[in-house]
Amino acid sequence: MIRLLRILGLLVLIAVVAVGVLFWIGRDRGATPAASVDLANLGPDQRQQMLERGRWVARAADCAACHTDPDGGSDLAGGLPMVTPMGSVYGTNITPSTEHGIGDYSADDLYRAVAQGVAPDGRNLYPAMPYPSYHRITRADSDALWLWLMQQRPVDKPNRPDDLMFPFNIRPAIAVWNALFRPEAEPFDPQGLENPQGEYLVDVLGHCGECHTPRNLAYALTDDHLAGEVIEGAYAPDLRPDALARRGWSGEDLVAFLHRGLSPQGVMTFRMFPVLSHSTSHLSEDDLSAIADYLADGTQLPGPQQRPPGGATAMDGHALYLGLCAGCHGDNGQGQPHSSVPLDTNTTAMYRDPLNLIRIIAEGIPERDLAQGERMQAMPAFGGMLSDQQMAELVNYLRERWGGRPGDVTTGAVTSVLERNESH
Amino acid sequence: MAGRINFTASINGQQVGPLDLPEDLMMVELLQEYLNLTGTRLSCGQGVCSACAIIVDDPEGGSRTVPACITGVAWLNGKTVRTIEGIAGRDEQGDPVPSPVQQAFLDHFSFQCSYCTPGFVNAATVLVERLERAPIPVEDVEDAILKALDPHICRCTGYVRYYQAVRDVILSTPGLTIGTVAAAERPA
Ligand code: FES
Ligand code: FES
Repeated sequence: MIRLLRILGLLVLIAVVAVGVLFWIGRDRGATPAASVDLANLGPDQRQQMLERGRWVARAADCAACHTDPDGGSDLAGGLPMVTPMGSVYGTNITPSTEHGIGDYSADDLYRAVAQGVAPDGRNLYPAMPYPSYHRITRADSDALWLWLMQQRPVDKPNRPDDLMFPFNIRPAIAVWNALFRPEAEPFDPQGLENPQGEYLVDVLGHCGECHTPRNLAYALTDDHLAGEVIEGAYAPDLRPDALARRGWSGEDLVAFLHRGLSPQGVMTFRMFPVLSHSTSHLSEDDLSAIADYLADGTQLPGPQQRPPGGATAMDGHALYLGLCAGCHGDNGQGQPHSSVPLDTNTTAMYRDPLNLIRIIAEGIPERDLAQGERMQAMPAFGGMLSDQQMAELVNYLRERWGGRPGDVTTGAVTSVLERNESH
Repeated sequence: MAGRINFTASINGQQVGPLDLPEDLMMVELLQEYLNLTGTRLSCGQGVCSACAIIVDDPEGGSRTVPACITGVAWLNGKTVRTIEGIAGRDEQGDPVPSPVQQAFLDHFSFQCSYCTPGFVNAATVLVERLERAPIPVEDVEDAILKALDPHICRCTGYVRYYQAVRDVILSTPGLTIGTVAAAERPA
């Protein structure tokens, strides 16, 4: 018995030491590169150029996606909830308010927060702040961003405390997480890269992987870069070249999707819609082409494929489609410009996971001003008109007819998706 | 090439069919072109304006309106449907008597050209019937009306008179609300 206790004691001691060491490592924020310019002595032209670059960085990095004020009025005043399995964290106020925002941040402070996930008081930021992606931001871009942020209108809006469950609400524990999962802050180096602009936009500023890359149990990004992940109740699809080719994307369509929010493959929905309005619709065609090229990674993307219907489609699903969907989407899924998307080239039915398809049919999509004058009328919610069994029949019909997927979605699977997402 | 379906339904209490119809026929076309029920209005044709709203009665789920322009006979097959022609009652002589909603719209001069009116009548009728089964607190009435009429577009009247008419019907019909009317009497 005493022996057992001793062994146990030893194990506990080892664990405490290990956690302590990890904590120590994770507390170390790494080196902070020197400021790119003397920010106190900027000439007017240089200042103007930096402000423009800073605005570009803010857009490309989509700061507003999380830091926008859901009550309106400011894209940077914070308050938007981000729902994670561990609870909700809220975007913070990053306006230059000295009381509630980042008004007293130095350019060094901003770099450390963005690239290393550490606030000026040494507090660890939750990795909901995508510093694992931003860690490669260049110091020059961080400085330009700082200059731009400090020029924005301060909003004195207090931050909302996070509601994370124990033990995730112990901030110092993030140091341990950082030791294990935070990449070293190493500023982006374009040397020798084939498509530096695309890589910088996708992997660093655009932080696409934060939603599209699968996470492990510790909620850290895995090595399956951009392989698709369910996040905040929706599936963020696989963006690897083969998957894009299989779903009938072309480079041009990717550019159109990011530019206008719409392409033959579908329309921006769920958390991708704000990405359009805050970020991608403001990027230049060169930037968007670089993104598309980087995602394609040398693979020839063929564009929409005419595929034969995947086998005989069930009559029940067919009648539901004609009765409820065809009035807008057309008998053959051709859609109508600016009001309802084509379904014959749409990628939503092509995902193995039927989550997005079920949620869109059940919840509908609000009417939307997309970008560059493109818009879409509302899609009604059909949740109240379909039993779970009918939903499964309709979803299977769409998967078989246009998705190239088997009609294997069960009524039970529909029920569980709908129950899980009631709160969204 | 669309297939065909064998269609039956109860429309305004009358059995319709069996009819051999194109399977992709939209309901508004069946009503107007096959059944000569021309009261249902076609406007946008894409589910946005609700001019074409008809009522589907589901014994379990209750009644709801659906846009007849984009709802196909394939979905309405076998269902129980009411259109604007089925809303008014009849007196002993068999002459039509406006329903309370219809009468209120007349009393309040709710419409001008009337193109949107059948849709508004059907939406308000569904709301009143829902409140008969499940009354709501007086203070929630305004929100409930707004929610029910919100999808309906009217180009003539500015909505206020439709809104006031429905509010009148709900507050003056016993059993639709819980609580005192006084609270809701304050100006809208
Ligand atoms: S005509 Fe049907 S909704 Fe406009
Ligand atoms: S009365 Fe004319 S559109 Fe409503």
